[in-house]
Amino acid sequence: MTTKEQLKQILVSDLNLEDMTPEQIPDDSPLFGQGLGLDSLDAVELVVIVQRHFGVEIKDMQEARSAFQTVETLATLIDERRPTT
Amino acid sequence: MPLSEPPPTAPDSPAQPRWSSRSVGTPLQHGIFYLLIRLGGTRAAVPLLHAVALYYVLLRPSIRRRTLPYLTRRFPAAPTWRRLLLAYRMIVEFGKVLIDRAAMGMSGLDPHSITLSGRETLLGVLGEGHGVVLLTAHVGCWQTGMAALNFIDVPVHLLMQREEGDIDLHYFEHRGLPCPFRIIDPRGFLGGSIEMLQALKRGEVVSVMGDRDSGSVRNTVAVEFLGGTARFPFSPFKIAAAAGAPVVVLLSHRTGLSSAHLEVVDVIRVPDNLRVDPEEFKPFVEKFVKTLEDYVTAHPFQFFNFYDMWDINAAQEPVRNTAPSLRSMRL
Repeated sequence: MTTKEQLKQILVSDLNLEDMTPEQIPDDSPLFGQGLGLDSLDAVELVVIVQRHFGVEIKDMQEARSAFQTVETLATLIDERRPTT
Repeated sequence: MPLSEPPPTAPDSPAQPRWSSRSVGTPLQHGIFYLLIRLGGTRAAVPLLHAVALYYVLLRPSIRRRTLPYLTRRFPAAPTWRRLLLAYRMIVEFGKVLIDRAAMGMSGLDPHSITLSGRETLLGVLGEGHGVVLLTAHVGCWQTGMAALNFIDVPVHLLMQREEGDIDLHYFEHRGLPCPFRIIDPRGFLGGSIEMLQALKRGEVVSVMGDRDSGSVRNTVAVEFLGGTARFPFSPFKIAAAAGAPVVVLLSHRTGLSSAHLEVVDVIRVPDNLRVDPEEFKPFVEKFVKTLEDYVTAHPFQFFNFYDMWDINAAQEPVRNTAPSLRSMRL
């Protein structure tokens, strides 16, 4: 399973998007606002999710700004920073 | 005098709060108060304050009415004539807070003017190394009181929004000093939530107001407050849970002209496994609100929310100004 697929599954389960399936989330849909409709508190949860599930800590605002655009951008950051096993 | 004007709204803007921190005074009016304080100290400005308060109560009903939602809850049996007196006192007390703030800004902080109880508690939770959410409210001298926290040796962040065109000066601005705090603007990226979380993770302090919603019901829960239901934000508790940080409730009241007392009144610990459902956070919001209610009961003229916080139907859902989100489409 790719990081994007994993991420979509986690978004649906951990952010109470149960009415939506992972397949319905486009890779390039904005996470916040008009796209997925997540809000600032979901962003807090997203930081926790990324750390808990992928071991990636989002440490600064610049990183958050560029990663928290779409599933695609977030998955790219995770792939770049994910600890290798 | 800076009571608040209704916030400006645009038809396609996101949800707007029902409160505003923008002053209703003109630059000239502010200037006269500042001049009096410079020339004669706080006592010189108080007589003018009483005159202004009287003017607001008798001749500016739109301003007087803003005191009523709180006063009718706090003093439900008061007849109409007494409510006029209560409104007058309320405006005077608020004006004194602003005079103190200006005086402190002009002359610097007198270390004996603000006392603090709970200093050891605060240092103790800070020592845990998970950061601290400093939860406060529009009670007493919430702005100048923060100046008494200069013993904290980690950065203190304030979630604070300055209204466009506001002429009110913060205490540190009177002498052109740099802000002693790091300001997080709630209009910034994702409402400043990531900035707050990251600050807490560095073991720093994040101060937020817990008694006003942002205009959207989405991040609030409805709880009992002074005999009615009002909406309070649960976001401070949510961020605390995500960071594993304790929530320190810090409230203040004026004890006299240019003197105040700051109190750590509670430490609320939120389990870090709470996640998405607002109702999970409700018990913690209720605990804070009960503490606030007790404080307001003890200091009835030092609660400064000049809007109807009990009109919970007036709180708006977030308005999207573009295409509907996937999330809203599925609801």
